[in-house]
Amino acid sequence: MAMMNDSRPHYPDYSTAGAVQHSFNPYADNGGSVVAIAGDDFAVIGADTRLSTGFAIYTRNQKKLFKLTDKTILGCAGCWCDTLTLTRILNARMQMYEQEHNKTMSTTACSQMLSTMLYYKRFFPYYISNVLVGLDTEGKGCVYSYDPIGHCERSTYRAGGSAGALLQPLLDNQVGFKNMQGDAFEKVTKERAIAILKDVFISAAERDIYTGDSIVINLITKDGITEETFPLRKD
Amino acid sequence: MFLTRSEYDRGVNTFSPEGRLFQVEYAIEAIKLGSTAIGICTSEGVVLAVEKRITSTLMEPNTIEKIVEIDKHIGCAVSGLMADSRTMIDRARIECQNHWFTYNERMTVESCAQAVSNLAIQFGDSDDDGSAMSRPFGVAILFAGIDEKGPQLYHMDPSGTFVQFDAKAIGSGSEGAQQSLQEMYHRSMTLKEATTASLTILKQVMEEKLNSSNVEVMTMTPGEFFHMFSKEQVEEALNLVVPMEKSQGDLPAAAASKATANA
Repeated sequence: MAMMNDSRPHYPDYSTAGAVQHSFNPYADNGGSVVAIAGDDFAVIGADTRLSTGFAIYTRNQKKLFKLTDKTILGCAGCWCDTLTLTRILNARMQMYEQEHNKTMSTTACSQMLSTMLYYKRFFPYYISNVLVGLDTEGKGCVYSYDPIGHCERSTYRAGGSAGALLQPLLDNQVGFKNMQGDAFEKVTKERAIAILKDVFISAAERDIYTGDSIVINLITKDGITEETFPLRKD
Repeated sequence: MFLTRSEYDRGVNTFSPEGRLFQVEYAIEAIKLGSTAIGICTSEGVVLAVEKRITSTLMEPNTIEKIVEIDKHIGCAVSGLMADSRTMIDRARIECQNHWFTYNERMTVESCAQAVSNLAIQFGDSDDDGSAMSRPFGVAILFAGIDEKGPQLYHMDPSGTFVQFDAKAIGSGSEGAQQSLQEMYHRSMTLKEATTASLTILKQVMEEKLNSSNVEVMTMTPGEFFHMFSKEQVEEALNLVVPMEKSQGDLPAAAASKATANA
């Protein structure tokens, strides 16, 4: 009992292990950027082909664009394993819709379905930056962008993925003509959109280590989808 | 004929040696006891007209609801066991809303019919996914709707079979009414003509005298979508019926007597 009145704190003669916190991170950031621009009768989307983890590169030629219909393409950047799962489920849902309703899904229907699919994993989300482009039922180009839990916004241009924050202001200026002097700006054409897309990716590859190697560009028009690739710096 | 049906008309999903499901066939008979409903599809839209059986003067006629809205763009007329129809209408409404929620577009009329059909065939003693109906629904439904394919009319019977029609009648007077529809229908019909035609035929096959409180009329048009006629509008439509009847000579009487024989 004498110990109890001792003013000195009591320490044991040996060190205890204490509580050790273990953690498991279920997500990986595999980088990658997606840029999409829509016009009155076309939509163009590009994504780089670098798949990386930290300072290492898994592959220099990973396609990140997924054709959903003849009029709709999805671009994904972020956690690659989530992208694989999401796109597989998406393809299954597209097929089921086609068989149930005897028609191909419209781009607007795709956009809404993707949103609900993402929200259904509200508390264990797919860690993906999604950009969906296509032609709507009137044949007008459209771009839908998403956050990982399903918020969906329709716009005419969008940059997403690791260099998204870097490129969006650039697109605001070059496609949206924000903060420009004068008033008469011509709408971007297909050719101009592809040129801007290549330029912004070149810039992104300079600053973002997760973006580079090359880009795959898909152009959607009423005549179908055309694909081209464009090299970027590989370091 | 019924004597031969002693063994196999018990179980709802037992085939008879001739390959028939008697309970389903009986359910189809059950709807022939129901009130008559007529649907006509035109290029301008679809019209549904249904008889309401007012069995007592003390009855409140507008509590009988045989035409209902499924979604803005789909309406339904039902005949048969009304309580059963509620379940099916409920399913149709849920499916339409689900479709809108998931795809942000209107469900097609065909898909809606398909969804209800899936419910209609879920009868049987037991089911893996919980509570199943113990018997087939005793309901026939007319789906009137508009989607990207334009105005459409679908008919579904208790077996869950659904078929698209230009014009279709269900219920007790259906046989006579279908015959009259065959004669009256043509592809270039206006919606107004179709409304008058449906009421004329209804008048022929109904036992009671047609008036604004024992008939329900609904139109489905690209502009207005689901539109239930008010009492005044029904009266207005009924006024057009009389001259048409005169021009038809004694055809209505013949059709009417035929219908009463069926009912």
